[in-house]
Amino acid sequence: MYKILMYICFSIGDCFVPRNDKKMKNSQLYKGSLNTIIMKLLEENGKMYGYEITQKVKAITAGELNITEGALYPALHKLEAEGILDVEIEKVDNRMRKYYKLTEAGTKETVNRLAELEDFIRTMQSLVNPKLEF
Amino acid sequence: MKLTAPQIEHLFTFTRQHYVEWYDLQSELVDHLANAIETQWQENPKLSFDEALNIEFKKFGVFGFMDVVEKRQAVLRKKYNGLVWEHIKGFFGIPKIVLTITMTLVLFSILKVSIYSGWIFMGLYLILMVFSFYKIFKNRKKKQLKAQTKEKIWLFEEIINQYGSIAGIIVLPFNIFNQLIDQTDNFFGNVYWVLGLSFFSVVFFILVFIIFKIIPAKTEEYLLATYPEYKLEKL
Repeated sequence: MYKILMYICFSIGDCFVPRNDKKMKNSQLYKGSLNTIIMKLLEENGKMYGYEITQKVKAITAGELNITEGALYPALHKLEAEGILDVEIEKVDNRMRKYYKLTEAGTKETVNRLAELEDFIRTMQSLVNPKLEF
Repeated sequence: MKLTAPQIEHLFTFTRQHYVEWYDLQSELVDHLANAIETQWQENPKLSFDEALNIEFKKFGVFGFMDVVEKRQAVLRKKYNGLVWEHIKGFFGIPKIVLTITMTLVLFSILKVSIYSGWIFMGLYLILMVFSFYKIFKNRKKKQLKAQTKEKIWLFEEIINQYGSIAGIIVLPFNIFNQLIDQTDNFFGNVYWVLGLSFFSVVFFILVFIIFKIIPAKTEEYLLATYPEYKLEKL
Protein backbone atom coordinates (compact mmCIF):
# COMPACT_ATOMS: atom_id res chain seq x y z
CA MET A 1 0.00 0.00 0.00
CA TYR A 2 2.80 2.33 0.95
CA LYS A 3 4.47 1.79 -2.43
CA ILE A 4 1.27 2.70 -4.23
CA LEU A 5 0.88 5.79 -2.07
CA MET A 6 4.43 6.85 -2.88
CA TYR A 7 3.74 6.33 -6.58
CA ILE A 8 0.64 8.50 -6.44
CA CYS A 9 2.57 11.04 -4.42
CA PHE A 10 5.26 11.27 -7.10
CA SER A 11 2.77 11.24 -9.94
CA ILE A 12 0.99 14.31 -8.70
CA GLY A 13 4.24 15.90 -7.66
CA ASP A 14 3.36 16.06 -3.98
CA CYS A 15 5.84 16.72 -1.24
CA PHE A 16 4.07 15.21 1.70
CA VAL A 17 2.69 11.86 2.72
CA PRO A 18 -0.06 12.25 5.28
CA ARG A 19 -0.32 9.44 7.80
CA ASN A 20 -3.76 8.16 6.86
CA ASP A 21 -4.69 6.95 3.41
CA LYS A 22 -7.96 8.87 3.68
CA LYS A 23 -6.05 12.11 3.91
CA MET A 24 -4.09 11.51 0.73
CA LYS A 25 -5.98 14.13 -1.26
CA ASN A 26 -5.14 16.75 1.38
CA SER A 27 -1.43 16.50 0.66
CA GLN A 28 -1.88 18.75 -2.39
CA LEU A 29 -2.86 21.57 -0.07
CA TYR A 30 0.53 21.44 1.61
CA LYS A 31 2.55 21.36 -1.61
CA GLY A 32 2.98 25.11 -2.00
CA SER A 33 4.01 25.54 1.62
CA LEU A 34 7.07 23.25 1.67
CA ASN A 35 9.59 26.08 1.25
CA THR A 36 7.91 28.20 3.91
CA ILE A 37 7.89 25.26 6.33
CA ILE A 38 11.62 24.67 5.75
CA MET A 39 12.38 28.37 6.21
CA LYS A 40 10.29 28.58 9.39
CA LEU A 41 12.07 25.54 10.86
CA LEU A 42 15.48 27.01 10.05
CA GLU A 43 14.47 30.35 11.54
CA GLU A 44 13.64 28.59 14.79
CA ASN A 45 16.50 26.10 14.89
CA GLY A 46 19.39 27.98 13.32
CA LYS A 47 20.96 25.26 11.20
CA MET A 48 19.58 21.85 10.29
CA TYR A 49 20.43 18.95 7.98
CA GLY A 50 18.00 17.24 5.61
CA TYR A 51 17.12 14.23 7.71
CA GLU A 52 16.69 16.42 10.80
CA ILE A 53 14.11 18.54 8.93
CA THR A 54 12.02 15.49 7.99
CA GLN A 55 12.12 14.25 11.59
CA LYS A 56 11.26 17.65 13.03
CA VAL A 57 8.18 18.03 10.81
CA LYS A 58 7.12 14.52 11.79
CA ALA A 59 7.56 15.32 15.49
CA ILE A 60 5.80 18.72 15.39
CA THR A 61 2.81 17.35 13.51
CA ALA A 62 2.78 14.20 15.67
CA GLY A 63 3.41 12.07 12.58
CA GLU A 64 0.53 13.66 10.69
CA LEU A 65 2.85 14.88 7.91
CA ASN A 66 5.97 13.31 6.47
CA ILE A 67 8.05 15.35 4.04
CA THR A 68 9.10 13.01 1.25
CA GLU A 69 12.84 12.78 0.63
CA GLY A 70 12.32 13.20 -3.10
CA ALA A 71 10.80 16.64 -2.49
CA LEU A 72 12.88 17.89 0.43
CA TYR A 73 16.32 17.90 -1.20
CA PRO A 74 15.21 19.59 -4.44
CA ALA A 75 13.51 22.26 -2.33
CA LEU A 76 16.64 22.76 -0.21
CA HIS A 77 18.87 22.95 -3.30
CA LYS A 78 16.56 25.46 -4.95
CA LEU A 79 16.44 27.68 -1.88
CA GLU A 80 20.24 27.48 -1.69
CA ALA A 81 20.55 28.54 -5.34
CA GLU A 82 18.15 31.44 -4.73
CA GLY A 83 20.43 32.71 -1.98
CA ILE A 84 17.84 32.08 0.73
CA LEU A 85 19.88 29.30 2.33
CA ASP A 86 23.56 28.90 2.97
CA VAL A 87 25.36 25.61 3.60
CA GLU A 88 27.89 24.46 6.14
CA ILE A 89 29.73 21.16 6.24
CA GLU A 90 30.72 19.25 9.34
CA LYS A 91 32.35 15.89 9.71
CA VAL A 92 30.12 13.76 11.96
CA ASP A 93 30.59 10.01 12.66
CA ASN A 94 32.97 9.30 9.77
CA ARG A 95 30.74 11.07 7.24
CA MET A 96 30.07 14.56 5.95
CA ARG A 97 26.98 16.36 7.15
CA LYS A 98 25.53 19.26 5.19
CA TYR A 99 23.77 21.84 7.33
CA TYR A 100 21.41 24.43 5.90
CA LYS A 101 20.87 27.84 7.47
CA LEU A 102 19.10 31.03 6.48
CA THR A 103 21.11 33.80 4.88
CA GLU A 104 20.43 37.40 5.81
CA ALA A 105 18.18 37.74 2.75
CA GLY A 106 16.58 34.41 3.67
CA THR A 107 15.69 35.64 7.15
CA LYS A 108 13.93 38.68 5.67
CA GLU A 109 12.19 36.51 3.08
CA THR A 110 10.97 34.15 5.82
CA VAL A 111 9.09 37.02 7.48
CA ASN A 112 7.40 37.87 4.15
CA ARG A 113 6.52 34.27 3.34
CA LEU A 114 5.12 33.60 6.80
CA ALA A 115 2.98 36.73 6.59
CA GLU A 116 1.79 35.57 3.16
CA LEU A 117 0.95 32.12 4.52
CA GLU A 118 -0.92 33.59 7.50
CA ASP A 119 -2.93 35.79 5.13
CA PHE A 120 -3.73 32.76 3.05
CA ILE A 121 -4.87 30.81 6.13
CA ARG A 122 -7.06 33.74 7.24
CA THR A 123 -8.63 34.06 3.80
CA MET A 124 -9.29 30.34 3.59
CA GLN A 125 -10.75 30.36 7.06
CA SER A 126 -13.16 33.14 6.16
CA LEU A 127 -14.17 31.25 3.03
CA VAL A 128 -14.54 27.86 4.65
CA ASN A 129 -16.05 29.09 7.88
CA PRO A 130 -17.72 32.45 7.13
CA LYS A 131 -19.22 34.41 9.99
CA LEU A 132 -22.46 35.58 8.53
CA GLU A 133 -23.80 38.90 9.77
CA PHE A 134 -27.42 39.87 9.53
CA MET B 1 24.17 1.97 17.19
CA LYS B 2 26.28 3.89 14.69
CA LEU B 3 27.24 2.90 11.14
CA THR B 4 30.79 1.66 10.63
CA ALA B 5 33.20 3.05 8.03
CA PRO B 6 32.72 0.02 5.67
CA GLN B 7 28.93 0.49 5.92
CA ILE B 8 29.31 4.16 4.99
CA GLU B 9 31.49 3.07 2.06
CA HIS B 10 28.75 0.61 1.08
CA LEU B 11 26.23 3.47 1.08
CA PHE B 12 28.46 5.43 -1.33
CA THR B 13 28.58 2.37 -3.61
CA PHE B 14 24.80 2.04 -3.25
CA THR B 15 24.21 5.63 -4.42
CA ARG B 16 26.62 5.07 -7.35
CA GLN B 17 24.68 1.93 -8.30
CA HIS B 18 21.53 4.05 -8.32
CA TYR B 19 22.92 6.52 -10.84
CA VAL B 20 24.28 9.17 -8.48
CA GLU B 21 27.81 9.64 -9.82
CA TRP B 22 28.62 12.93 -8.16
CA TYR B 23 30.32 13.15 -4.81
CA ASP B 24 28.42 16.27 -3.64
CA LEU B 25 25.06 14.54 -4.01
CA GLN B 26 26.38 11.18 -2.86
CA SER B 27 27.68 12.55 0.45
CA GLU B 28 24.37 14.27 1.26
CA LEU B 29 22.34 11.17 0.42
CA VAL B 30 24.75 8.91 2.33
CA ASP B 31 24.36 11.04 5.46
CA HIS B 32 20.57 10.97 5.04
CA LEU B 33 20.47 7.18 4.64
CA ALA B 34 22.92 6.69 7.51
CA ASN B 35 20.82 8.83 9.86
CA ALA B 36 17.66 7.06 8.81
CA ILE B 37 19.21 3.60 9.29
CA GLU B 38 20.51 4.57 12.73
CA THR B 39 17.01 5.77 13.71
CA GLN B 40 15.57 2.47 12.45
CA TRP B 41 18.02 0.57 14.63
CA GLN B 42 16.95 2.57 17.68
CA GLU B 43 13.38 1.44 17.11
CA ASN B 44 14.22 -2.07 15.95
CA PRO B 45 17.79 -3.19 16.80
CA LYS B 46 17.26 -6.60 15.18
CA LEU B 47 16.95 -5.10 11.70
CA SER B 48 19.90 -5.91 9.44
CA PHE B 49 21.80 -3.12 7.63
CA ASP B 50 20.45 -4.19 4.23
CA GLU B 51 16.86 -4.41 5.47
CA ALA B 52 17.04 -0.95 7.03
CA LEU B 53 18.64 0.43 3.86
CA ASN B 54 15.90 -1.06 1.68
CA ILE B 55 13.17 0.46 3.83
CA GLU B 56 14.80 3.88 3.65
CA PHE B 57 15.50 3.73 -0.08
CA LYS B 58 11.85 2.92 -0.76
CA LYS B 59 10.93 6.21 0.91
CA PHE B 60 12.53 8.00 -2.04
CA GLY B 61 9.72 6.59 -4.18
CA VAL B 62 9.59 4.58 -7.36
CA PHE B 63 12.11 6.78 -9.13
CA GLY B 64 14.72 6.37 -6.41
CA PHE B 65 17.25 9.20 -6.33
CA MET B 66 16.41 10.35 -9.87
CA ASP B 67 14.16 13.18 -8.80
CA VAL B 68 16.79 14.58 -6.46
CA VAL B 69 19.47 14.25 -9.17
CA GLU B 70 17.40 15.84 -11.94
CA LYS B 71 16.31 18.80 -9.85
CA ARG B 72 19.88 19.36 -8.62
CA GLN B 73 21.12 19.29 -12.21
CA ALA B 74 18.46 21.81 -13.19
CA VAL B 75 19.43 24.16 -10.35
CA LEU B 76 23.15 23.96 -11.19
CA ARG B 77 22.55 24.39 -14.93
CA LYS B 78 20.60 27.53 -14.14
CA LYS B 79 23.50 28.71 -12.00
CA TYR B 80 25.91 27.97 -14.86
CA ASN B 81 23.76 29.84 -17.38
CA GLY B 82 23.70 32.76 -14.95
CA LEU B 83 27.50 32.70 -14.84
CA VAL B 84 27.73 32.76 -18.64
CA TRP B 85 25.25 35.62 -18.76
CA GLU B 86 27.25 37.60 -16.18
CA HIS B 87 30.40 37.21 -18.29
CA ILE B 88 28.57 38.23 -21.47
CA LYS B 89 27.26 41.34 -19.73
CA GLY B 90 30.86 42.07 -18.77
CA PHE B 91 31.73 42.40 -22.46
CA PHE B 92 29.08 45.08 -22.85
CA GLY B 93 30.14 47.10 -19.84
CA ILE B 94 33.04 49.51 -19.42
CA PRO B 95 35.92 48.86 -20.22
CA LYS B 96 35.38 45.64 -22.21
CA ILE B 97 32.76 47.19 -24.50
CA VAL B 98 35.64 49.01 -26.23
CA LEU B 99 37.07 45.61 -27.17
CA THR B 100 33.66 44.35 -28.36
CA ILE B 101 33.10 47.41 -30.55
CA THR B 102 36.67 47.32 -31.91
CA MET B 103 36.39 43.63 -32.83
CA THR B 104 33.05 44.27 -34.54
CA LEU B 105 34.45 47.18 -36.56
CA VAL B 106 37.62 45.29 -37.55
CA LEU B 107 35.59 42.30 -38.73
CA PHE B 108 33.14 44.62 -40.49
CA SER B 109 36.01 46.38 -42.34
CA ILE B 110 37.56 43.07 -43.44
CA LEU B 111 34.25 41.63 -44.64
CA LYS B 112 33.35 44.89 -46.37
CA VAL B 113 36.64 45.41 -48.22
CA SER B 114 37.66 41.87 -49.17
CA ILE B 115 36.26 40.12 -52.22
CA TYR B 116 36.59 36.84 -50.35
CA SER B 117 34.39 37.96 -47.44
CA GLY B 118 32.24 34.79 -47.64
CA TRP B 119 35.26 32.54 -47.40
CA ILE B 120 36.86 34.62 -44.64
CA PHE B 121 33.68 34.35 -42.62
CA MET B 122 33.43 30.60 -43.19
CA GLY B 123 37.12 30.18 -42.32
CA LEU B 124 36.79 32.08 -39.05
CA TYR B 125 33.73 30.13 -38.15
CA LEU B 126 35.38 26.80 -38.94
CA ILE B 127 38.34 27.70 -36.71
CA LEU B 128 35.88 28.41 -33.88
CA MET B 129 34.09 25.12 -34.47
CA VAL B 130 37.28 23.06 -34.58
CA PHE B 131 38.44 24.73 -31.37
CA SER B 132 35.10 23.98 -29.67
CA PHE B 133 35.04 20.34 -30.72
CA TYR B 134 38.67 19.90 -29.69
CA LYS B 135 37.78 21.20 -26.20
CA ILE B 136 34.71 18.97 -25.98
CA PHE B 137 36.74 15.92 -27.05
CA LYS B 138 39.54 16.74 -24.60
CA ASN B 139 37.11 17.03 -21.72
CA ARG B 140 35.42 13.78 -22.58
CA LYS B 141 38.81 12.07 -22.36
CA LYS B 142 39.45 13.77 -19.02
CA LYS B 143 36.11 12.52 -17.70
CA GLN B 144 36.85 8.95 -18.81
CA LEU B 145 40.21 9.11 -17.06
CA LYS B 146 38.56 10.39 -13.88
CA ALA B 147 36.06 7.54 -13.99
CA GLN B 148 38.86 5.00 -14.40
CA THR B 149 40.87 6.39 -11.49
CA LYS B 150 37.64 6.69 -9.41
CA GLU B 151 38.42 10.31 -8.69
CA LYS B 152 35.60 12.28 -7.09
CA ILE B 153 33.30 13.95 -9.59
CA TRP B 154 31.42 17.13 -8.70
CA LEU B 155 28.19 17.89 -10.47
CA PHE B 156 28.96 21.56 -11.08
CA GLU B 157 32.41 20.68 -12.40
CA GLU B 158 30.80 18.29 -14.85
CA ILE B 159 28.33 20.95 -15.99
CA ILE B 160 31.21 23.40 -16.54
CA ASN B 161 33.17 20.78 -18.49
CA GLN B 162 30.14 19.79 -20.52
CA TYR B 163 29.52 23.47 -21.19
CA GLY B 164 26.00 23.43 -19.80
CA SER B 165 23.45 23.00 -22.48
CA ILE B 166 24.97 25.75 -24.57
CA ALA B 167 27.54 23.64 -26.46
CA GLY B 168 24.89 22.37 -28.89
CA ILE B 169 24.26 25.80 -30.37
CA ILE B 170 27.81 26.02 -31.75
CA VAL B 171 26.78 24.31 -34.96
CA LEU B 172 23.56 26.29 -35.39
CA PRO B 173 24.93 29.52 -36.96
CA PHE B 174 27.03 27.39 -39.32
CA ASN B 175 23.93 25.62 -40.57
CA ILE B 176 22.10 28.90 -41.06
CA PHE B 177 25.03 30.37 -42.95
CA ASN B 178 25.29 27.24 -45.04
CA GLN B 179 21.75 27.85 -46.23
CA LEU B 180 22.62 31.43 -47.14
CA ILE B 181 25.97 30.71 -48.82
CA ASP B 182 24.41 30.66 -52.30
CA GLN B 183 23.33 34.24 -51.88
CA THR B 184 26.62 35.54 -50.50
CA ASP B 185 26.94 38.20 -53.19
CA ASN B 186 23.66 39.84 -52.17
CA PHE B 187 24.42 39.18 -48.58
CA PHE B 188 27.84 40.82 -48.40
CA GLY B 189 26.77 43.67 -50.68
CA ASN B 190 24.46 45.08 -48.03
CA VAL B 191 26.29 47.22 -45.43
CA TYR B 192 23.68 46.66 -42.72
CA TRP B 193 23.77 42.90 -43.18
CA VAL B 194 27.56 42.87 -42.96
CA LEU B 195 27.50 45.06 -39.85
CA GLY B 196 24.87 42.82 -38.25
CA LEU B 197 26.79 39.70 -39.21
CA SER B 198 30.02 41.16 -37.79
CA PHE B 199 28.34 42.02 -34.51
CA PHE B 200 26.66 38.60 -34.29
CA SER B 201 29.97 36.85 -35.05
CA VAL B 202 31.81 38.82 -32.37
CA VAL B 203 29.11 38.02 -29.78
CA PHE B 204 29.34 34.38 -30.80
CA PHE B 205 33.12 34.44 -30.53
CA ILE B 206 32.83 36.00 -27.04
CA LEU B 207 30.31 33.31 -26.03
CA VAL B 208 32.60 30.49 -27.17
CA PHE B 209 35.53 32.16 -25.41
CA ILE B 210 33.54 32.43 -22.15
CA ILE B 211 32.27 28.84 -22.30
CA PHE B 212 35.51 27.18 -23.34
CA LYS B 213 38.16 29.41 -21.80
CA ILE B 214 37.11 31.90 -19.12
CA ILE B 215 34.75 29.72 -17.04
CA PRO B 216 36.83 26.48 -17.18
CA ALA B 217 39.89 28.49 -16.08
CA LYS B 218 37.97 29.53 -12.95
CA THR B 219 36.52 26.05 -12.20
CA GLU B 220 38.35 25.75 -8.89
CA GLU B 221 37.05 29.15 -7.75
CA TYR B 222 33.46 28.29 -8.69
CA LEU B 223 33.64 24.87 -7.02
CA LEU B 224 34.93 26.44 -3.81
CA ALA B 225 32.05 28.92 -3.88
CA THR B 226 29.47 26.20 -4.59
CA TYR B 227 30.66 23.44 -2.27
CA PRO B 228 32.02 24.10 1.23
CA GLU B 229 33.00 20.39 1.31
CA TYR B 230 35.24 20.88 -1.74
CA LYS B 231 37.73 22.78 0.40
CA LEU B 232 37.69 19.99 3.02
CA GLU B 233 38.27 17.35 0.38
CA LYS B 234 41.18 19.25 -1.13
CA LEU B 235 42.97 19.69 2.22
